[in-house]
Amino acid sequence: MIEVLQSGTRATLQDSGRRGHRSRGIPASGAADRLSFAVANWMVGNVWNTPAIECVLGGQHFRFHQDTLIGLAGAEMWAQVNGQNVTNYTAFPVEKGDILTLSFSRQGCRAYITVPGGFNGHTFLGSVSTYLPAGLGGIEGRALKVGDHFQIHPVKRNPRKLPPGYRATFSNHIVLRTRPGPEFEDLTQESQRHLFINPFIATRNTNRMGARLRGNRISMRTYEDMTSGPLLPGTLQVPADSQPVLAMTDAHCTGGYPRVLQVITADYWLLGQVRPGSKVSFQRCFSRDAIDILKRRTAFYRSLMDGFSF
Amino acid sequence: MVRPPQIIPYGDSALLMQFMSDGYSRDVIRTVQAMSSELRADPDWIEVVSGYDSLLLEFDPLKLDPVAAEGKLINLVNGFKPGQVPTGRLVEIPVYYGGKDGPDMQLIMDAAGLGESEVISLHSAREYLVCMMGFIPGFAFLSAAHDRLYHPRHETPRGRVPAGSVGIGGWQTGIYGLESPGGWQIIGRTDITIFDATRDEPFYLSAGDRVKFVPATRGSAKG
Repeated sequence: MIEVLQSGTRATLQDSGRRGHRSRGIPASGAADRLSFAVANWMVGNVWNTPAIECVLGGQHFRFHQDTLIGLAGAEMWAQVNGQNVTNYTAFPVEKGDILTLSFSRQGCRAYITVPGGFNGHTFLGSVSTYLPAGLGGIEGRALKVGDHFQIHPVKRNPRKLPPGYRATFSNHIVLRTRPGPEFEDLTQESQRHLFINPFIATRNTNRMGARLRGNRISMRTYEDMTSGPLLPGTLQVPADSQPVLAMTDAHCTGGYPRVLQVITADYWLLGQVRPGSKVSFQRCFSRDAIDILKRRTAFYRSLMDGFSF
Repeated sequence: MVRPPQIIPYGDSALLMQFMSDGYSRDVIRTVQAMSSELRADPDWIEVVSGYDSLLLEFDPLKLDPVAAEGKLINLVNGFKPGQVPTGRLVEIPVYYGGKDGPDMQLIMDAAGLGESEVISLHSAREYLVCMMGFIPGFAFLSAAHDRLYHPRHETPRGRVPAGSVGIGGWQTGIYGLESPGGWQIIGRTDITIFDATRDEPFYLSAGDRVKFVPATRGSAKG
């Protein structure tokens, strides 16, 4: 059993999400940084999409009531077991009575904790991913709180050492490669340039649903009342106040603001590491490059983790 | 007559079919619904999400080249016969109009210059089509209400709109499937649970369904 002593800024149970239900208003959700989530699972011998605990910004403490193996990946949170440093992007054994603590992260936003066999949660539409706005999945559809505990599988496994190159790297300046969104051409000429020049800053309104950005004013040529239409995660939308909003994994399935950029699929995991205060820059990417990058990166990660997808 | 849609890339793994219409068009909505039921039968499309005047198609670019995906859509559009209109199931939804259930009823009455019973009969006379689900789980975006009921949304959204609330937002009418913040003008509420994650079938409505509101009164229908 593992017990939550402190839930920190926020912690939720996540897997690879429930895809295929956007037409009914259900976003896919799932680990916001799929890459770190997947390798955290690999290091403890799990299939890449096994349920894990997603820890936001740090402050989480856990006590183990049995011996087990822990995988840790994602934002550097200066983790310690009983006050002794443990290394991020490794798996390590813990013993009954041990306490794992995560300190405040200084780079990135989310870290993932895995155990052999994963964590149990409530399954909705084939996924245990927590979606807070509708109270779906996870533990009673909510974030972890002090006193929660998870039964864990008494599986004996050895830690796996992550081969070089598989560790995700990011800083507090997140650079996202993008394709034009459906309404990109409706931006003013000036805004079409401004999107790619200065970085934006993620404001405190940054969570799993989206990041409200601050920076150059981004304006549409005309601001007509758009009919609401389908919206994808990774879309940069421009509301009437000219401060763009970046849709994340829990974003609404439909929106009524112009969709001006779309983050390429291979960079989608980086959205999970955007935190309040992060710089966010956008780059253009050619259509064929977006696909080539996706093919190469997917093949690279699949050589380690069967069936991995971004 | 519905003009052929534009096919616009939306990122590297989705395409958007955008129909051109000024605001609400029943013909466009029927075409979108008919096309989406055809597209849902094709496993190459991972997700088919319909809007009022657009349709989003997601695919896996590792399996289907984006150029090929676009080609498939062009073929579909070219071969599409406008007569193919789906007749979704008809769902009757009892609604308690006005009072505590419809805090914005007075506003709509004043704006339209109508009495409450006239607003109710205009709103419940029409058969609506479920055009789109979302923004939150279970929120049903319905086709246009009567012109006289047109009303913009609240400038500042309410912090809390109860589940089952029936509202008007511009020419649209819709039902809140879950309690949430919201800016629509609320004229009534249904006791039917539109979205319930614990039910075998969590969704009471799907895009393509037809909806008829049935005015109900407190005390008689509800014990």
